[in-house]
Amino acid sequence: MRRSTRLSRVGLHATMLVLVAWSVLPFLWTFQTSIKFTRDVAAKKPVLWGYETTANAYRAFWLDEDDINMWSVLVYILAVAAICLILGQIGKRVRHSWPWFSAAVGVIFVALWRFPRIWEVNDEYDFLINSIVVTVLTMLISLSIGLLAGYGLARYTGISGAVILIVALGFRALPRTAFVLPYFFGAKEIDDWLASSGVGSWDFPFIDFPGIDTLQILDTRLAIVLALVAVNQPFTIWMFRSFFMEVPKEIEEAAMMDGATRLQAFRRVIIPMMWPAIIATGLFTMLLAYNEYLFVRVLAPTEWTLPVAIVSLTGGESSRTITEAAAASVSITLPIVVVIILFQKHLVKGLGAGAVKG
Amino acid sequence: MNRRTFWGFTVPSVIVMLALMVFPLITTVWLGFQKLLLRDLNNPQWIGFDNYTDVLTDPEFWAAFRFTMVFVAVVVPVTMVMGLGVALLLDRVGRGRSLYMAALLLPFIVTPVVGSLVYKDLFERGGLIAWLWEVITDDPFAVDASNVKWLIIIQSIWYVMPFAMITFFAGLQTLPEERVEAAAIDGANFLRNLWHVILPHLRVLILFVGLITIMDAYRVYDQVFVWTGNRFTDAHTLSVYNVRVATAYDIGRLGKGNAIAVLNVIGIFVVLIPFLWRSYKDQIEERT
Repeated sequence: MRRSTRLSRVGLHATMLVLVAWSVLPFLWTFQTSIKFTRDVAAKKPVLWGYETTANAYRAFWLDEDDINMWSVLVYILAVAAICLILGQIGKRVRHSWPWFSAAVGVIFVALWRFPRIWEVNDEYDFLINSIVVTVLTMLISLSIGLLAGYGLARYTGISGAVILIVALGFRALPRTAFVLPYFFGAKEIDDWLASSGVGSWDFPFIDFPGIDTLQILDTRLAIVLALVAVNQPFTIWMFRSFFMEVPKEIEEAAMMDGATRLQAFRRVIIPMMWPAIIATGLFTMLLAYNEYLFVRVLAPTEWTLPVAIVSLTGGESSRTITEAAAASVSITLPIVVVIILFQKHLVKGLGAGAVKG
Repeated sequence: MNRRTFWGFTVPSVIVMLALMVFPLITTVWLGFQKLLLRDLNNPQWIGFDNYTDVLTDPEFWAAFRFTMVFVAVVVPVTMVMGLGVALLLDRVGRGRSLYMAALLLPFIVTPVVGSLVYKDLFERGGLIAWLWEVITDDPFAVDASNVKWLIIIQSIWYVMPFAMITFFAGLQTLPEERVEAAAIDGANFLRNLWHVILPHLRVLILFVGLITIMDAYRVYDQVFVWTGNRFTDAHTLSVYNVRVATAYDIGRLGKGNAIAVLNVIGIFVVLIPFLWRSYKDQIEERT
């Protein structure tokens, strides 16, 4: 390799810094808007330095009460993050042990469900919960289905495998609008049938769904999850297939020689090798579900997730101020940034391995 | 793997695709032939090709079509060239690479509607760029019908470029060191190296990124919706126009909306069929 001179190294870093500035400038600007007082934001000449900072906008967007010290909220969030980090580190060492699982579920439950009772959160908090529920369910369903199909498609050599792959590739290309309108119409038809036949208001014996009085499809989180799983399916099966292609056949054949069935070999031998693939595909699925706008807007007129909430609440006709809009934007961005920074390596590797072959 | 095990593994996925993709698409085609209003969903009437003649004589459809074509024609090549350039630069950075990468990835991972909102804030009254513009040119800057299309295009490049960058960067990591060194010994300069070693190595990836960005640019919705809303309707793309026609409050025409959706699907397939055919051939070859 040619040895780079000092001058070219300085030039390289300078170029990179300009590029970084072009990517992050809007976020920095929004962040400083979110911690200003409205009078500084409204000033004709932007106040760039020496302004007084405040967390009022965050309080106004998320909380109902006005006299809460936002430092305590920050400390609380940081404490939860620290506990999650510790649990994650423990989880790396002792995989799949039930004390770890129950501790994790307990922490998430307390952190997300006790939180509103202490600080009396706004409706916006429900949209955050909706976002989390939709994202987690979409990831679970879409990854499990995708793993099975990806494995089948990687190992089967018949023509029907090729046909499924090409059809899936075609579906990947279709505009969302070709799906969202029939989903809306179909969900409406099913809801009408549920209402008119009385099935929707059945009282199921032994099962009591909390918070659900009548069954319906439209305007539920279920509708959003189903739609997202469907549009994500082509991507997951191609991605997983390309990862499975790299796992030599001999590995599961050896396991099957030892008397394991194919399903057992798949579960005990192949899946543990696939964690990098699962994490990479999971990250993209998470981005898709967390960021979705159109499906939620059309299929769920009131059960919003955060992106729809932010656009609707900060649009022209709303009374929310520009600082609150900025605070909302920062709040929705931070969790995803944290996750991506934690898993950045997997993202790059996943794109490398999945894309090069696919 | 025999046929029965194969279907055992793939059946959940196939059911999802049949129930939630094939069946809805058939519904789309069927609804495209109906007169169906949003406020009166229970009584569709068969009207044949009337929706299609309605769409094809709608000047707003052609405006949306034109802007979508311009959008794809600008965003896709610029994204790819920029992405490759930044990936090559990133590949040379030694220390601090993952920090740069995290910062450069930010626009791509952030929720598109939120990314558009924060980008738009720079240009709105009181925003940094609007203010700088006023300082430099002495004219106030406002987002209006004449510049909103270009702002959408610039913001979309800002949003998609990291995807191209990260994919090309991942590809560059698999470039065999010996080939670069051999080229260097031959005295090849950077451009010849790029042309004879790097680009051939990235050929598959360039096709992949090109296809994905064409698909995504063709169906762009989020950015355009945030920038224009109901204000600048002549800067709407096909998807935004489609949703607007179908779900406009009280006057939504679901039948016509589905006809537009069918036309959109046909539009992307005209471009894609050669690629799909080639992939199919590749798949068949792989199997024999």
